[in-house]
Amino acid sequence: MIRRYAALIRNAWLVDLQYRASIVLWLLWGVTEPAIALGIWWAIAGDGSVAGYARADFARYFFAVMLINQLTIAWDSWYLDRWIRDGELNFRLARPLHPAHEAVAENLAYKARTASVILVVWLVVAVAWPAVRLPFAPGRWAITAVAVVLAAAMRFFISFTTGLLAFWTTRATAIMELHAGVSLFLAGRIAPLALLPPAVAGIAGVLWFRSMLAFPVDLLTGTVQGTDAILRGLGGQIVWLGVWILAYRVAWSRGIRKYGAVGG
Amino acid sequence: MEQWADETNAANLVMMFRVPTSAFRLLSAFWRLNVAEELQYRANFIASVLGTVFNMATALLTLSLFFHHTTTLGGWDYWEIVVLLGVFNALTGVIEAVLRPGIGQLAGEVRSGELDLVLVKPVDAQGFVSFRQLDIWRLTDIVLGLGLAGYALFRLGHTPSLAQLMAFGLTIAAAAVVVYAIWVVLMSLAFWFVSVENIAVLFDAVYEGARYPVSAYPGALRFLFVYLIPIAWTTTIPASALTGRLRPEIGLAAAAVAGVAFGLARALWRTALRRYAGASG
Repeated sequence: MIRRYAALIRNAWLVDLQYRASIVLWLLWGVTEPAIALGIWWAIAGDGSVAGYARADFARYFFAVMLINQLTIAWDSWYLDRWIRDGELNFRLARPLHPAHEAVAENLAYKARTASVILVVWLVVAVAWPAVRLPFAPGRWAITAVAVVLAAAMRFFISFTTGLLAFWTTRATAIMELHAGVSLFLAGRIAPLALLPPAVAGIAGVLWFRSMLAFPVDLLTGTVQGTDAILRGLGGQIVWLGVWILAYRVAWSRGIRKYGAVGG
Repeated sequence: MEQWADETNAANLVMMFRVPTSAFRLLSAFWRLNVAEELQYRANFIASVLGTVFNMATALLTLSLFFHHTTTLGGWDYWEIVVLLGVFNALTGVIEAVLRPGIGQLAGEVRSGELDLVLVKPVDAQGFVSFRQLDIWRLTDIVLGLGLAGYALFRLGHTPSLAQLMAFGLTIAAAAVVVYAIWVVLMSLAFWFVSVENIAVLFDAVYEGARYPVSAYPGALRFLFVYLIPIAWTTTIPASALTGRLRPEIGLAAAAVAGVAFGLARALWRTALRRYAGASG
């Protein structure tokens, strides 16, 4: 299995290498949204603070959003939608390996490339701009890494499962866009959850949205304090990851049966 | 048909302002075909409107969130920025309806050499590749956007004077030209980065910045949006005209910016075209 994965990742890495310019574009697209949000909050905070967030806190928050969003984002619903509609899924099904493995390998290669670019940029910026420096805390970084893996896994299953809806509807990507629109607020892309009205932030915590992005970001910046809060956050991530894996299994087995009926 | 394919030398620069009636005839023929085709897919209309309404709601909620923590943003209050969002949406409609449908095709044609077929046509290549496709459903974005701007003006209790409406007419036209010029620059880039079918993503990334008045941004971003990637001229200025905060000389500057942006974009397009070797090269 490890050998297969090494081959898949290497393949995905080389394919990405052909599309360097495209990847730079997606990277730029990914960082402008947090950069503009930072610009606006920067203006609003002025010399004071907003709900405990001063300018430097916003800067750290949105740099962490750029990095962790890039590490956890998954485009699979778009690919699956195309595979299912064009019938490209057929030859993927004929392989002796489940198509999800190829998707996972592509995600790993893409994220390794783009996130390392962001990390380097962040380090360079931090040299000149003290506001975005994080305190040296290897223990916290290690826990963040775990939370990022859980978030990435969950977002992968969300995206993959939503893409599978293409078995039933032609609007699977529209549903994914809807989810992206909601996550703008509930996952903390436009503002730290602490700045949302408490009821809305509460919904984000009960559903999977905080686990997607805001929780790992708050872990990295040090906003989440105390073993209890950290364990609860990780617990929420694990529960929702389980739920989405289940949803994926149901959608896959039913969808494949339906697909066979139509194509066969 | 009149021959008006222009050569690449600068002496012919004057020609670029000569748009013969045949161009409009051609364009209307293309668009009629597009409309006929799209009318077969009426469900797309509902989906398109729903998508636009959802995007507008998201933008308004984002704005409400900002104003939950402040009373003004860059010196603008809530409903003034909603006017700006209306203008933003109307321009997005122009982009989505007219400009975006054709750009993916161009990248493919540059790579495969099919662009030859465009270049031998007795029409201006830039105009042809820019406007050959039309997605009529997205034209509703223009209506919805202007409607939103109108509602926000009503909430402001501000009725624009005739002079302000004329200033809006001038600056929104300039805004459309600036947006088009940025778009031509992107199309030209397709000649250098032939693998980029999604080059329009670059536009989406940058254009996010036009959702808010340029005065809200820190100095460096403001400089970028006014002088280097002139998106400040596309939303902040027309919205200022409607709300009555535009100084006349800025309105004239907007027209000048549009002219310069168009000229530069046109020059870049010609340079790019010279790089193109055709199917045999």
